[in-house]
Amino acid sequence: MLLSVKKLHTWFQHQGRTIKAVDEVSFEIARGETFCLVGESGSGKSITALSIMQLLPKSNLQRHAGEILFHAQGEVPADLAGLSEIEMQQVRGGRIAMIFQEPMSSLNPVFTIGEQILEAVRLHFPELSEGEAWQRVMESLEAVQLPDPQTRVHSYPHQLSGGQRQRVMIAMAMACEPDLLIADEPTTALDVTVQREILRLMKTLQQRTEMAILFITHDFGVVSRIADRVGVMQRGKLVETGVTEQIIHRPGHSYTQSLISALPENLARNQPHEQRGDQVPLIKLSQLEIHFPVRKGLLRRVVDQVRAVDGVDLEIPRGEILALVGESGSGKTTLGRGILRLTEPTAGRVAFDDTDITEMNRSQLRRFRRHMQIIFQDPISSLNPRLSIAAILTEPMKVHGIGENQEARLAMARDLLGQVQMEEDALWRYPHEFSGGQRQRIGIARALSLAPSFIVCDEITSALDVSVQAEILRMLLDLRAKHGLTLLFITHNIGVVEYVSDRTAVMYQGRIVEQGKTEDIVNRPNNRYTQQLIAAVPRVPV
Amino acid sequence: MSRTAKKRQGYWRRILGQTFVRWGARLGLFWVAILALVGVFAPFLASSFPLLLSHEGEVSSPVLNYLQPVDVLFLVGFITLLLLSPWRITLLRKFLIMISVLAVAALFAYLWVKPQQLVIYEQYRVADAAGKYDWVVYAPIPYSPKDYQRDRGDTGLEAPLSQQSRAHWFGTEQNGADVLSRMIHASRIALGIGFVATGIAMLLGIVIGGLMGYFSGAVDILGMRLVEIFEAVPTLFLLLTFVAFFGRSLYIMMVIIGITSWPGYARYVRAEFLRLRKQDFVQAVEAAGLPLPSILFRHMLPNGMGPVLVAASFGVASAILAEATLSFLGLGLVDDPSWGEMLNQAVQSSRFNWWMAAFPGGAIFFTVFAYNLIGESLRDAIDPYLSKSG
Repeated sequence: MLLSVKKLHTWFQHQGRTIKAVDEVSFEIARGETFCLVGESGSGKSITALSIMQLLPKSNLQRHAGEILFHAQGEVPADLAGLSEIEMQQVRGGRIAMIFQEPMSSLNPVFTIGEQILEAVRLHFPELSEGEAWQRVMESLEAVQLPDPQTRVHSYPHQLSGGQRQRVMIAMAMACEPDLLIADEPTTALDVTVQREILRLMKTLQQRTEMAILFITHDFGVVSRIADRVGVMQRGKLVETGVTEQIIHRPGHSYTQSLISALPENLARNQPHEQRGDQVPLIKLSQLEIHFPVRKGLLRRVVDQVRAVDGVDLEIPRGEILALVGESGSGKTTLGRGILRLTEPTAGRVAFDDTDITEMNRSQLRRFRRHMQIIFQDPISSLNPRLSIAAILTEPMKVHGIGENQEARLAMARDLLGQVQMEEDALWRYPHEFSGGQRQRIGIARALSLAPSFIVCDEITSALDVSVQAEILRMLLDLRAKHGLTLLFITHNIGVVEYVSDRTAVMYQGRIVEQGKTEDIVNRPNNRYTQQLIAAVPRVPV
Repeated sequence: MSRTAKKRQGYWRRILGQTFVRWGARLGLFWVAILALVGVFAPFLASSFPLLLSHEGEVSSPVLNYLQPVDVLFLVGFITLLLLSPWRITLLRKFLIMISVLAVAALFAYLWVKPQQLVIYEQYRVADAAGKYDWVVYAPIPYSPKDYQRDRGDTGLEAPLSQQSRAHWFGTEQNGADVLSRMIHASRIALGIGFVATGIAMLLGIVIGGLMGYFSGAVDILGMRLVEIFEAVPTLFLLLTFVAFFGRSLYIMMVIIGITSWPGYARYVRAEFLRLRKQDFVQAVEAAGLPLPSILFRHMLPNGMGPVLVAASFGVASAILAEATLSFLGLGLVDDPSWGEMLNQAVQSSRFNWWMAAFPGGAIFFTVFAYNLIGESLRDAIDPYLSKSG
């Protein structure tokens, strides 16, 4: 065994309470194997990795115990927990390398990528000459298939795309030929097509170098693509380990079962919305364009336009859920905000029930806004931290003259909280007291407070854990049925699209490249880009 | 129980709680509170007029006859603060009530309070020495700040506690006035100038910075040029010029320090508003069709106030220093004592009299230090990356 972790405990002291971040975790990783640690946020996956690397914050560490036996090539097995800081520095980077989720912040912006890899190489192979070390840097960049490594080696991190930066991180990790690579959510911040390439790259490198990978993720799709064996973590405990195939199809532990069944792929399908052909579409976009000027120079002249939304025609019939999918930068969020005129459209028309929104002046628009609402992705920034939930929910009502007095509005707010399955006493609390899922429920309640007929849902579940996501989606579908809502559901998660939407539109570089029934798009895509996108999505085989 | 009570507290209560958990901030607040108390009760702490006396069976309080309108105003402010503190309403509302009470009180104080014009400090002492009164209660420091006793010794100068009778704890200056008494009365100037000048600067900064940040574009470009122009004006030289032209007035000083230091606040507010404008919750209230004033002042401003308040607590310190500098240069107020002016007196004397430099200098040092400690703690409490760790 390359690595065997035995009864690892990592406990923290926080405000007088003990937090068992890692609690009696034992697992083994063999040479050349990929072991995935899966779990929801806060389950202790990352802390386990940091414990192995001995990179824990010393200040509030309460208990750190257990054995971490690491058997490097041609060396005697060593207990990492017992090594001194100096000995550990040899192991880190040299024998065990680590890559992180955010490739931008893990690279130093003031050095070129070549310099950064070179430093790592020279640290661990001091015997190499300048030329040989540089040779190794180039080899590692070639190994991670960075296009045009001869010139890229002199680039700074900001000149590379997210996927390229993650390749550089992998190159840096690989340059020292580690025995174990710890990858902490390395593809979470990347688009699916890029993610596919990175995963494929890691597999290839692993086959070539016999390196073991400890892969940390929350995404079962990724797990099924890359893992040999899987460990499922829940609140600091490793509840189940096993071969990937077995964990996904025949999970033993009840927690694993609940996780697997909460995957949108496994949720009971939504009844397709029956369409009545004679209706006027609720939302009708014609040739909608949203351009952002690029200004340069002293006089701030417009030198170019970023065509975020570039001529979009779209219709959303009343009562339908339209999913808008696309990769980052495709303009889907801008389109969603453009429909609500939160971002001013440059040209084109947005018709809501045959009323042209784009022609309204400020005060007309302000009154009209109660018909269209938006729910945001980030549950943290979407609620004003200074106001109580009561104020957040009742203020819009007051402005639009809903409810006779504050008492009536508070009663309505209580009712709304009930609809999103929250306790009434939440009214008098502040946003920071709630979890991400609860905040997202409050966000939904706020959108519903004006009794709108159309809601833009902008990636509303992508910051949430799968089990919470399943609850929120189910609730949203119920609310849709109850209030007859029309939804524009912006997402990049194909599983969610399949579960929730009636129709799907695929967006690429500011244009809609394909739209149609969700089932058709997902299973029989026509457009070449859609085909690529769908193929890249890591999916749990059902 | 305490857990639920803690959960209900609003953002600012939480921030203030975190700020004053730190001992540095507590120390700072403690010092400022002492200064404030001393400032409010200055006429009763240091006065040549007896607090109470009984003359032929008739009890009277001469000190009340000599109260200035400003003294009354300070007292009214203090009492309002005491009455407001147990009331559970938002800090902002308390602040507004405070301001309005003070405005009304100022009007009435200047209309109605008519202090005795003729001031003879010796009057009561002489009468007391002659045994005219049945009993007399003096203030703890029985000397008014301008009670000059030049003729008592060879010079007016007297080291601390150098004489048994008529002891002066901090000594006297060359005109024979009590140093401690002067310092007590000067603490009002230090506090007043700090708060008023910073208040003016903050108000201007928030309005201008807020407009720049929310509207951006042309408003922003014009606003930033205005900021740059004001930042280029050297405050001290402007103050010197104004003092030269318009004479010495505390109010002019406050206003000038105020209107030359707003650009810092405007920059902070602008940056915060630029950041907040794209935040989801601002977009959400915009999507809900809330009117602009509500978006700006109810939803954006409270979220952007953090850095401004931190800057303000440092700003108070620097305003106090600016006034001290002017007074030290001899351009401060003519007659009223201030800490800087007392330092000036210390160096003007032919001999170095340590008590005239050490006590006012120490007071300036501790006050500026106190505000800096508070500012530092506030900054740490507001910083989301630091707030979790100890």
